[in-house]
Amino acid sequence: MAPTPATDAELDVMIRARLASLGIDLDQLPPGTASDPATGAPGRDSVLASLRSFVRGSVTAIAAYQLPAPAGSDPASAAALSQQPAPMLYPSISTEWRK
Amino acid sequence: MSTVDRRAFLARTAAVAAAAAAGASAIPGVAWAGGPARFGPGAYVRPRPEAFADPTELTLAEAAWMIKNGRLTPADLVEAYLARVGAYEPVYQAFNTVLADQARAAAKAAGKRRHTGPLHGIPLAIKDNYWTAGVRTTANSYLFQDFVPPHDATAVARLKANGAIVLGKTQMGPLATTRATTPDGRVTTVNAWTPTIPGTDPGGSSTGTATSVAGRLATSGTGTQTGGSITAPSNAQNLTGLKPTMGRVSLAGIIPLSYTRDHPGPLARDARDAAIMLTAMAGEDPADPRTQGLPRVPDLVEAATPVYSGRKVRARWSTRIGVLPGYADGTSATALARQAFLSTVDKIEGVRLVDVPLPDEWDLLTGGAFNNVRLPERSEPFMPYLRTDLRGFGVSVTGWLQGALLGANEFITGQRAKLLLLERVLDQIFARCDVVVQTGPVPFDILGLPEIGFPIGFTPAGVPIGTILGGEPYAEDRLLSVVAAYQAVTDWHWRRPPNPPAPAASALRSSPALTDRGRLTADDVVAQMQ
Repeated sequence: MAPTPATDAELDVMIRARLASLGIDLDQLPPGTASDPATGAPGRDSVLASLRSFVRGSVTAIAAYQLPAPAGSDPASAAALSQQPAPMLYPSISTEWRK
Repeated sequence: MSTVDRRAFLARTAAVAAAAAAGASAIPGVAWAGGPARFGPGAYVRPRPEAFADPTELTLAEAAWMIKNGRLTPADLVEAYLARVGAYEPVYQAFNTVLADQARAAAKAAGKRRHTGPLHGIPLAIKDNYWTAGVRTTANSYLFQDFVPPHDATAVARLKANGAIVLGKTQMGPLATTRATTPDGRVTTVNAWTPTIPGTDPGGSSTGTATSVAGRLATSGTGTQTGGSITAPSNAQNLTGLKPTMGRVSLAGIIPLSYTRDHPGPLARDARDAAIMLTAMAGEDPADPRTQGLPRVPDLVEAATPVYSGRKVRARWSTRIGVLPGYADGTSATALARQAFLSTVDKIEGVRLVDVPLPDEWDLLTGGAFNNVRLPERSEPFMPYLRTDLRGFGVSVTGWLQGALLGANEFITGQRAKLLLLERVLDQIFARCDVVVQTGPVPFDILGLPEIGFPIGFTPAGVPIGTILGGEPYAEDRLLSVVAAYQAVTDWHWRRPPNPPAPAASALRSSPALTDRGRLTADDVVAQMQ
């Protein structure tokens, strides 16, 4: 069963907690939605809204992606096969040592 | 440890030891030390008659011919550019630092020195994320506002070893995210073709380099591309910009944005100039392992030299140009220019147009979510700043926070998807063609494949229209050969923007058009960032 989508408040807690675990305190930014007149840095409520959108969009979409089964195999058995393409930071460079 | 690994390790160890013995800075990294590249006679071109009268009109290859043949001194060339900088820079705002005194001194020295090649005495505009020894390098960010690098980026060192002169550091999007603005989002640099209309997109983030080359404030220049930042400003300002394959040009000494996608390369006036610039910039660098073990740099200048059968231009190599679905559809000015471009190249002997499909899941694997896989690459190296100085990121901060939120699972899935996408591009596109038109730069930026942006027309309002061709890994020579043939039968690349009218230029200095050109918010940056 799919989990219940997180509420804004739950996501705010998650985002703040995740950033705090890395040592990042969002309260460095101005309170509310107004940006810092000196630097243009956005208010923390504006940033939280943008970050919630990022989590609901990009994070969720990438996490949901199922890489295809290897060629010639049954797509239904992709998960069981666990033979996904290798992670490749530099795909173009890899063409040289894959020749 | 393999033989290759050990050799690279020993080379780096020796270089670090040498730097330590010389009392080098504590900042990690070693200055590149090498000699000039080899260039053939194609790097020198007798100028067009109209260019003899104005040194700033000369292409790099034409200026090289003039200097080599004693018809122009580096000092005169630098002075000509500095005169234009003095007259028009208040309007263009292409530079954040102009190195007038240093450039004059370098030109004087070049005039006394043995000729080093086509870049001898050529003034260049350098994007301000390339380290320049002893010269502030800010990436237009508060975070680096006082940073003075101990040595040049490898790419800058290579250009200087070939005789080039750094005329100035150029305006850019803060930390290379958007069109050029101050760190708090205030628009600085205008499109050289519409200097009184700040709203016209000048292309980013290598905006200042593009405006300086298009506005004839420098002969050529450097940019970096993570999400279109060389090809977009080149297209916007009627230039030829070459984003090489990942690893062709060292990233050592360049302030990072996204380390798997940052590509240094030239913005130039035509294909031949881009080839000269890239020849100097490219090559193996002990300080950047991504540059090692790659194919040798081919003769790019020869590739960018048009080939003729009698008086008729033909392709240097028989080339199939892949056309993606929808590339030239519609009746917009861009669509019409693309149709005309395809019609023109199709008439060149040795060129054949072929329809190619969009690879499976193209929109998904090159779209917003998978493009965002790059974001942890910008948050991770900036953690010390994120912990202590969020406001120092100015309007650009959100992308760095997004990166910190993307989990390791998603990051790895994204890296797997890159290999999947590459194999589909190779199997489904490049099995049928040699180069392929692009409808946007991001897919090949994700993959690290080479792209060239070049002019193909103008809108009815006189704003340049460009297009992009993409190539196979390390096939910059093929891209250059196609654009060189196209430029031999068209004249878009010879067109220059008119000068801002002198009275307007002086009036603009005190007008709101100079001081209030609009401002990007943090949300704008999220929507536009590279």
